[in-house]
Amino acid sequence: MLPNSFFDNSFFNKNYQTPSWLKDKLSRRTLLKSAAGATAIISMSSMSFAETKKSYETALVSDPWQTLNSVLMHLMPKSASGPSAEDIRATHYLYNVVYHQPTEQEEVDFVFKGVGWLNGYSQGQTKMNFSQLESIEKELMLRAISGSTAGENWLAMLIGYLFEAMLSPPAYGGNPNGVGWKWLQHQAGFPLPSDGQRYYELPKRSVVQPAQAQKITMSVHNGTEKLKVNNKGTRKA
Amino acid sequence: MSYDICIVGSGAGASPVAYTLAKAGAKVVVIEKGPWLTEKEFFKDELAISLRDSYNPKLADEQHVIEEEYVTENGESYWQGESTSDSGWSFWNGNVVGGSSNFMSGYFHRLKPIDFRLKTEFGAINGANIADWPISYDELEPFYAQVESEIGVSGKVVKHPHQEPRSTVDFPYPPLAEHAVSTWIDEAAASIGFHAMPVPRAVLSQPAMGRKSCEYSGYCSSYGCSSGAKGSGRAALLNHGVATGNLTIIANAKVYKIDNDDQGKVTGVNYYDSQGRKKSVAAKIYVIACQAVETSRLLLASKSAFFPNGLANNHDQVGKNLVFSAGGTGQGDFYFDELNEQKKAELKQVGPFINRALQDWYQIDDKSFSGANSQGKAKGGTIDFLFYQNPISRAQGTQRDESNALVWGEQLKKNLIQEFTTYKTLRFEVFNDWLPTNDCFVSLDEEVKDKWGDPVAKVRIGSHAHDLQVGEYLAEKGAKLLEELGAKNISTSVSSYPPTNLMAGGCRFGDDPKTSVLDRNCRAHEVDNLYVTDGSFMPTGGSVPYTFTIYANAFRVAEQIKSRWQAFSAEV
Repeated sequence: MLPNSFFDNSFFNKNYQTPSWLKDKLSRRTLLKSAAGATAIISMSSMSFAETKKSYETALVSDPWQTLNSVLMHLMPKSASGPSAEDIRATHYLYNVVYHQPTEQEEVDFVFKGVGWLNGYSQGQTKMNFSQLESIEKELMLRAISGSTAGENWLAMLIGYLFEAMLSPPAYGGNPNGVGWKWLQHQAGFPLPSDGQRYYELPKRSVVQPAQAQKITMSVHNGTEKLKVNNKGTRKA
Repeated sequence: MSYDICIVGSGAGASPVAYTLAKAGAKVVVIEKGPWLTEKEFFKDELAISLRDSYNPKLADEQHVIEEEYVTENGESYWQGESTSDSGWSFWNGNVVGGSSNFMSGYFHRLKPIDFRLKTEFGAINGANIADWPISYDELEPFYAQVESEIGVSGKVVKHPHQEPRSTVDFPYPPLAEHAVSTWIDEAAASIGFHAMPVPRAVLSQPAMGRKSCEYSGYCSSYGCSSGAKGSGRAALLNHGVATGNLTIIANAKVYKIDNDDQGKVTGVNYYDSQGRKKSVAAKIYVIACQAVETSRLLLASKSAFFPNGLANNHDQVGKNLVFSAGGTGQGDFYFDELNEQKKAELKQVGPFINRALQDWYQIDDKSFSGANSQGKAKGGTIDFLFYQNPISRAQGTQRDESNALVWGEQLKKNLIQEFTTYKTLRFEVFNDWLPTNDCFVSLDEEVKDKWGDPVAKVRIGSHAHDLQVGEYLAEKGAKLLEELGAKNISTSVSSYPPTNLMAGGCRFGDDPKTSVLDRNCRAHEVDNLYVTDGSFMPTGGSVPYTFTIYANAFRVAEQIKSRWQAFSAEV
């Protein structure tokens, strides 16, 4: 029997609520908007790409990247049916999401928190870290954590990053030589961005020195429902 | 520095004025909140365009508050706002020089004469604030022709039951290369008595005016154009304006307040520069064109002793009667294994445009239609056909099984292969009038402020039930065509939610200052030297995307402004 404190710091924490940034990321609303071209919340980070390769390779041999690599490889394994997470350089892509793309800190924290929770659970069940397990045990661990809201969110987020690694322009660190596009017979557009032309390298917007945006949280409407529940009506125009 | 003309915003409403006046010799300044990008900074990058929305502000920095209607358990309804920084539902459409015209699809359908007199033709509808336009189609027609020539519209005029009158025989540029499915649509439409028509596009089919022609990358809608073929205000007009030596563009500059004197005349525009420093600029004539929501916001925020409720708002009309585009979408799938090799190859083609629309029901005259008019007569709309690209978004539909559980491993790979290699989806979009009502308007939010500390726009997005009826009627027609084409899994989605990229109204034009903000020349009734030239002027929006009409009207108003400026200059 695991102590209660374990559950406070795991995928199975009953008080866990999906944070708003993730809700939006995973929601149908975002899907619809993305299909037509809109949205996502970002902030800035600034490390040069030249540092990436060396530090990525160093990072990969220890946690959290060892575990993340292991999870991504399990989610998209080597097989005859198509490229693996390794073939699409999914871990490298995720590394860039964390260190080079201007990803919200909350999201980065959640990526790493999940690693801790997964290994905590894996240790509790098998006395081993996730990456040391055989494939069958890995499957059991991931199925188990996917039964929790936080675990499901974490895995859905990683699968979302697999898709990005597979199908985004290679300059972002995944999809080498368009391997994902080729596999899925998708014809990419042109021109594609190169290093220096990625979305976070476009000319900057104006900055504001003193003031910060004020953000307020609106009240929750318990016991009420929206009058009209419909898909968002975004069109290409 | 003092200018002749100061324009706030740089999109489809602003650029014709900047271009016309700069060519006429006026000293023009354009103030744009976003950065000044060129063709070199537009890529077919789904992350940039869609998933990270990088041509728009961060919603944590600049947001809107969207008010939706809720109902309690007791059946009482109320309006509640939610900041878009919380919801993630962006109402920005391209905050860069050239504005949202950089990212438009460029479906350039003209309005039709009937759109200018909706109230006269169909009568009032209970709960809607329908008003005829103060000008007729004939007054705008020469400027549609000007847009076709100067922005560059490619297309072909065909005989059609609802073809609007034209002063020119055909479009100045031949149609863009068409997808093989266009022919499928033509044949299917003919066989069921529909009239499929070629869609005019604001995309050059031939190099012209210093711009390259379309390169057919297959990614057009919502993507910035790297060849210059798409007729954005930046590529088609501002570049030429700058070349005159008379046009100055101040980018990364956010206007927060317009000043006026004790006669109500505008005396200057205040903005934050790229570093957040307060600056101001003065001119003889001022033009506001920040897209409907932000134009109303700026006027409402510009309070003074003369205008305590905001500039040009002493009759409390600014922000009222905002409209979006009603309608929705539909789609059907074609499975490759049900097609012969030739058809399969045709369907898989990527690059050329479908460019087909149906306007057979631009006016509905059908006794079975149970709209507001008992005779089955109503304003209808337009149906446009298209393919979507965006593979990452497409992949996102494969990560769950039928019971909504996450899948991974072999099952995920199988789902991806199934999704991408076994079928293709043909879609259509329905555009019909979003009736103006008292439940759709812009005001200033009292609590939420942007990164500069200024109140953000609060947008109430209520719609009229009639919009849904018309949208559903049209969507059924689109679905019928898909059925005739042999598509499977046909579905439609008609929504009362606004498409955030299709907005107009808020400063409607009219002859009565009590019920309109602008006069027929889009000059503020209450402010002698203030014009609004984006889509804000429209009392009703028509049933086509807005950009073409915004361009045409802005060219029309530009002639008025040019005459005023020439008169000013002559006085001096």
